[in-house]
Amino acid sequence: MRTLVILTAANLKSFVRDRAGMFWTLLFPVVFVLLFGMIFSGTQNPKYSVGWVDQDGTQASARLASAFGAVPILELKPGDEPTSLDAMRKGNVSAVIVVPKGYGAALAAAQRPSASPLGGLPGLPGQAAVKLVLYTDPSHQTTAQTIQQIVGQVAGVINQQLTRAPDLLGVEPRPLQTENISNVAYIVPSILAMALMQLGLFGAIPLVEQREKLILKRLGATPLKRWTLVGSNVLVRLLVGVVQAILILGIGATVFHVTILGSLALVAGLVLLGAATFIALGYVVASFARTEEAASQTTSILQFPLMFLSGIFFPFEIMPDFMRAVGAAMPLTYLGDAMRQVMVNGAAFAPLSVDVAILAVWLVVCLGISARFFRWQ
Amino acid sequence: MTSATGGAATPAAIEVQGLRKRYGPVQAVDGIDFEVRGGEVFGLLGPNGAGKTTTVEILEGLRQPDGGRALVLGLDAARQPDGIKERIGVQLQTAALYPRLTVTEVIDLFGSFYRHRLATAHLIEAFDLGERRDARTMQLSGGQQQRLSVALALVNDPELVFLDEPTTGLDPQARRSLWELVRGLQRDGKTVLLTTHYMEEAETLCDRVAIMDHGRILEMGTVEELVSRRFQERAVRFDTIPDLDQEQLAALPGVRSAAPEEEHTVLYSADVPATLAGLLEAAASVGAEARDLSIRPATLEDVFLALTGHALRD
Repeated sequence: MRTLVILTAANLKSFVRDRAGMFWTLLFPVVFVLLFGMIFSGTQNPKYSVGWVDQDGTQASARLASAFGAVPILELKPGDEPTSLDAMRKGNVSAVIVVPKGYGAALAAAQRPSASPLGGLPGLPGQAAVKLVLYTDPSHQTTAQTIQQIVGQVAGVINQQLTRAPDLLGVEPRPLQTENISNVAYIVPSILAMALMQLGLFGAIPLVEQREKLILKRLGATPLKRWTLVGSNVLVRLLVGVVQAILILGIGATVFHVTILGSLALVAGLVLLGAATFIALGYVVASFARTEEAASQTTSILQFPLMFLSGIFFPFEIMPDFMRAVGAAMPLTYLGDAMRQVMVNGAAFAPLSVDVAILAVWLVVCLGISARFFRWQ
Repeated sequence: MTSATGGAATPAAIEVQGLRKRYGPVQAVDGIDFEVRGGEVFGLLGPNGAGKTTTVEILEGLRQPDGGRALVLGLDAARQPDGIKERIGVQLQTAALYPRLTVTEVIDLFGSFYRHRLATAHLIEAFDLGERRDARTMQLSGGQQQRLSVALALVNDPELVFLDEPTTGLDPQARRSLWELVRGLQRDGKTVLLTTHYMEEAETLCDRVAIMDHGRILEMGTVEELVSRRFQERAVRFDTIPDLDQEQLAALPGVRSAAPEEEHTVLYSADVPATLAGLLEAAASVGAEARDLSIRPATLEDVFLALTGHALRD
């Protein structure tokens, strides 16, 4: 046990001092998350610039400006009408709102208590007294609709305040994660699964290197037990896997607001199970690859179908049937599926228990093959 | 510092009887017997594939033999490999074990594998690695790496040390300094079994040598015994003459055997004047002359060449 600790410490030291290895195992997944996250989150939280033309110039119109300014996804750009419209044509703003002259006066008139119900009110039902002019570009359908809705809502709130009508119908917002989860929420657990896959699979390369350079043989000639040696290698990989998971989940949570919806313990369990399965797969590769070069080629060849056919980057729904069939046999499919289910309530490819069972079967089979075929020299 | 065994008969450090090991169709070790006495430096020589490595691996407890018996320090190598590993030291050709650990860290690590160990500081001093104690092993020179490799083999203060081609790839100066280390091991009463490609190394270091080929031991004894037993002859060496074939040369007066040696031919002769006269005549008959002609006493290299049919370095 003491030897296990000392050997593991030595292996960790070796790992930390290997800058290139550190980059690939720790920084690479982080860069990956940031890159993919930024690409996929580009359309998620848009902010619209809107030209603001105040022709009224009263206190009332200034209050209206601050009301629009408080809407988080709007950014007001004040200006006169021709400049603002020009800016919109050039694509610098998405829409232009014009507050017509007489807005303040109309509001003041509406609020006068003495106004008689019929003659005094400037507006008639169905016909507004003052009209804000809103320029939008119908060819940008989503943007145009969104801005129209926002402006309509703001106008509605103001109407209601002015007429002092009691709230009849309210809205209570309640969150519900839809099955159609956002791209970033899909990508974060996927990248975690991918990182664990690479961590385990690439472990084959140093193993074969150590055998080729007779390091395993040299260690075999000491009283060091083989299980201690294997245990230490696995322990180092697991530790690195945990660090990777913390980094990836941390960035997902802080930068892209992808929080873990399910149990943290379950995620930790999946990280360990996934890492163990792919470490075992790495030992299988090391059992058959005779040279370091062969090991590195085998792992590269294996990782591509694993990555692209297992629903890690492309959802299963968009794949042709034969690719799905290949993907359905691969362990990464189930690790990614389980991670998404637990972390972000992703749509299930298989029930969680099936995911875990299939990963466990892969683990046991790989362990069996390694125990039978792994050579120490 | 000397071994505790006083008195007349030094017990055998290694006793091998009828040892066999087969890999598929290859009989790597084909029933060998030998004994290494306590405190002796014993050399195992042979071309690649002769069975040296397999033999040594069985003795180190790394492989199970198919048949026969190997006793190492009185323990059965097949049944008690763990007991043996605690008491032997092993040096392999690979030196950079943990390239990113420092000299001190690697020695500490290997020391942690054993119940009984020497102090790291002592080994660093004994192997002249003091200035490099905090250098990563990948930054060491070839000679320093080899010294570290031997230091690691001694970390448990072993009674028996296996050295696998300890000076391969070293420059002459580093080679000599390593030889000095091996002599020091012998002075400390340790038994050394070494394999080597260098005849000079075997002649300088080994009390006794065994020559192996095709899984068998062909000859065993001190270097002097081997040379004198096999060779009363002297070696006549010259640039190979293409028009004279081996059979013609072997039929010259006094010649016992002929062997090619790179671009030279070596004739082993019991009657040098007669052989020389015959050779010059034969050369003249094909219109050639024997260039770069030399005569020297036979060496271990010649014994090896005659026994295995090829030079040791092949």
